[in-house]
Amino acid sequence: MSEPLIELTGITKVLKGQSEPRTILDGVDLTVREGESVAVVGRSGSGKSTLLSVVGLFDRPDAGRYLLAGQDISRLRERRAAKLRSSHFGFVFQRFFLLKHLTAAQNVAMALVNGQGWPRRERRRRVLAALDQVGIAHLAKNRPAKMSGGEQQRVAIARALVRNPRVLLADEPTGALDTETGTLVIDALLGATENGCGLILVTHDRDHAARMGRILDLADGVLTERVPA
Amino acid sequence: MMRLSGRLRSSLIIGLQGIRARKLRTLLSMVSLFLGVLAVVVVQAGASIAERALMSDLELTNGIDGTRVLDMPPNPQAADIVVSTIAGRSDAVASMAASAIIGEPGVQPVNPGGSPMDENWGSSSICYPDGHCEEQGGPKGEAVELRLTALTGDIRAFRPFRLQSGRWLDFTTMPALAPRLVLNREAAKGFEEHHVPAEMRVGGAVHDVTPQFIGVVDDGDPQPRAYVRVDELANWLPPGGLADPNTGGEMRVMLAPSTPAERVLTAKLRGAGVETYLSTVDSRKERGKELSLMRLIFFSMAGLVLLIGVAGILNVGLATVGERVEEFALRRAVGTPRSLLAGIVLAETLLTGLLTAAAAIAASAAALKVVSTLLGDSQPLLHDVQFPWEAGVAGIIAGLVAGILGGFVPALRAAGIPIATVMRA
Ligand SMILES: Nc1ncnc2c1ncn2[C@@H]1O[C@H](COP(=O)(O)OP(=O)(O)OP(=O)(O)O)[C@@H](O)[C@H]1O
Ligand SMILES: [Mg+2]
Repeated sequence: MSEPLIELTGITKVLKGQSEPRTILDGVDLTVREGESVAVVGRSGSGKSTLLSVVGLFDRPDAGRYLLAGQDISRLRERRAAKLRSSHFGFVFQRFFLLKHLTAAQNVAMALVNGQGWPRRERRRRVLAALDQVGIAHLAKNRPAKMSGGEQQRVAIARALVRNPRVLLADEPTGALDTETGTLVIDALLGATENGCGLILVTHDRDHAARMGRILDLADGVLTERVPA
Repeated sequence: MMRLSGRLRSSLIIGLQGIRARKLRTLLSMVSLFLGVLAVVVVQAGASIAERALMSDLELTNGIDGTRVLDMPPNPQAADIVVSTIAGRSDAVASMAASAIIGEPGVQPVNPGGSPMDENWGSSSICYPDGHCEEQGGPKGEAVELRLTALTGDIRAFRPFRLQSGRWLDFTTMPALAPRLVLNREAAKGFEEHHVPAEMRVGGAVHDVTPQFIGVVDDGDPQPRAYVRVDELANWLPPGGLADPNTGGEMRVMLAPSTPAERVLTAKLRGAGVETYLSTVDSRKERGKELSLMRLIFFSMAGLVLLIGVAGILNVGLATVGERVEEFALRRAVGTPRSLLAGIVLAETLLTGLLTAAAAIAASAAALKVVSTLLGDSQPLLHDVQFPWEAGVAGIIAGLVAGILGGFVPALRAAGIPIATVMRA
């Protein structure tokens, strides 16, 4: 079996709301290996997005241990977190968050913070390769306003893939799309796992969840593996 | 270093993208800032032009800042030492003046005593080497009295005379037999108003001389003066005669800062027992105090106007950041460091400030050009005046400062946007 990319043990996250603090994650255990795809399901407000924001280093857990590729990163500074986000993770959200004044290619290139120190040609090549990987290389010069929702989401996936992330985190990426287009998007995400990339997909769609290697249920702050029926 | 310049580049590129995507907002920011930067540019331009005019007048009369000035009482022996020591040098020039009358012989000049043409200070007396003075009598006639100033070299290296017409003295050629004279403006005025024959009487000269007038300069002197090469005058009047205390001679040597001639000359003069007074021209320091208070007052007013512009940038900047919360959250999510986000916002306001500065500088340079062509003839201060570079620098600094002040708070806001925004949107 391949090395675990992500190993969470006993992750706890308490959110301080207006009144009293609420424990959203209460001892989450989760392991994701290279090339593995995992679906996280649960009812609205169960904390799925919160879990992704901990995994994606948007936020720090209040307790528990987080190993990323064997390295303990339970506590780390924002500077280093920003570096790890760009070197290890790719993000896809329900909304596409494309910058409307930029072309598809420029939107993808946006994820190359500081140009990665790569020469312009190399950057161009990678951007086009990422767009090609999700099947929309021909739209490189289009602006978001001229693209369909499915195409826009695939630009967003290309943006997540352009740096060859170790793990893709997708938070309801098909939520705003029809079933058919959603399927295309899931295809694109699963395509990336063939290169050894891990995938955590948060979804409300049973069919999409069923296409993942494992399905995990988030309820009452803990993750439980759904045994295939 | 690599990382820093990479970030700077990224900030500028993304900042430019932002400006291009929001042209109207940028324009509004610029409009709000324009008057402030313009005020700074105009104040600095006015101050520089005024100071430059003052300084150049001072330079004409006193000499360029840093010039060493050696004064001594007129004394024939000293004159010989001075001329023999520094003749032919360009880093030291001596001037020796004596009174001269040009015009009809035997008449009282129109300006007795060499006074300015429009002021008549009454009759004058001429004193002779043997010590006795004589009331200058005779009928008033067509003659002008002036200070005849003999030069050992081109004094314009120290006092940048402005040529009005004709030529300046040429010190490179062989001395001419008839001395060539360059008049100052006051002397030229005298010859214009009065029909004067070109015959010159100099106190102590053997004969009367027929000089040639070759040009007119502005030397900043209100008294009529004529400049002549000391070697051309020497045929009639040796240097020693020029330095005759009885004819009210002046003797002055102007030296470049740190020329070896200074040491040699002072040593020789001291050896001969001549008293000398050495000073260094420093007009800027003297003038600086007067100007700085005025400048302070005007700059504070301009600063206030600029502050209003800063508030405008700040306002637009905050609104823009509020509108771009998602973009910044997303940028943070893909690993953009907070410092770069702040840099992007600052780059936008800085570029806006610089664009505004460019516009304000262009506007005031154009306005100055118009004013100069319209009023230049009646106002010598505005005649052919160049846009001072200091005003350009002040405008750019004002634009940058406004950009930093107006962009600082929005930049902090942008850096503080939580990434989770992208998940809750
Ligand atoms: N900043 C916050 N402060 C306090 N409580 C918060 C904050 N953000 C989210 N919550 C709460 O945390 C809980 C989990 O939110 P989260 O967004 O993780 O749920 P989710 O499972 O992603 O829901 P959905 O399926 O609707 O996206 C919710 O009850 C929400 O109200
Ligand atoms: Mg959610």
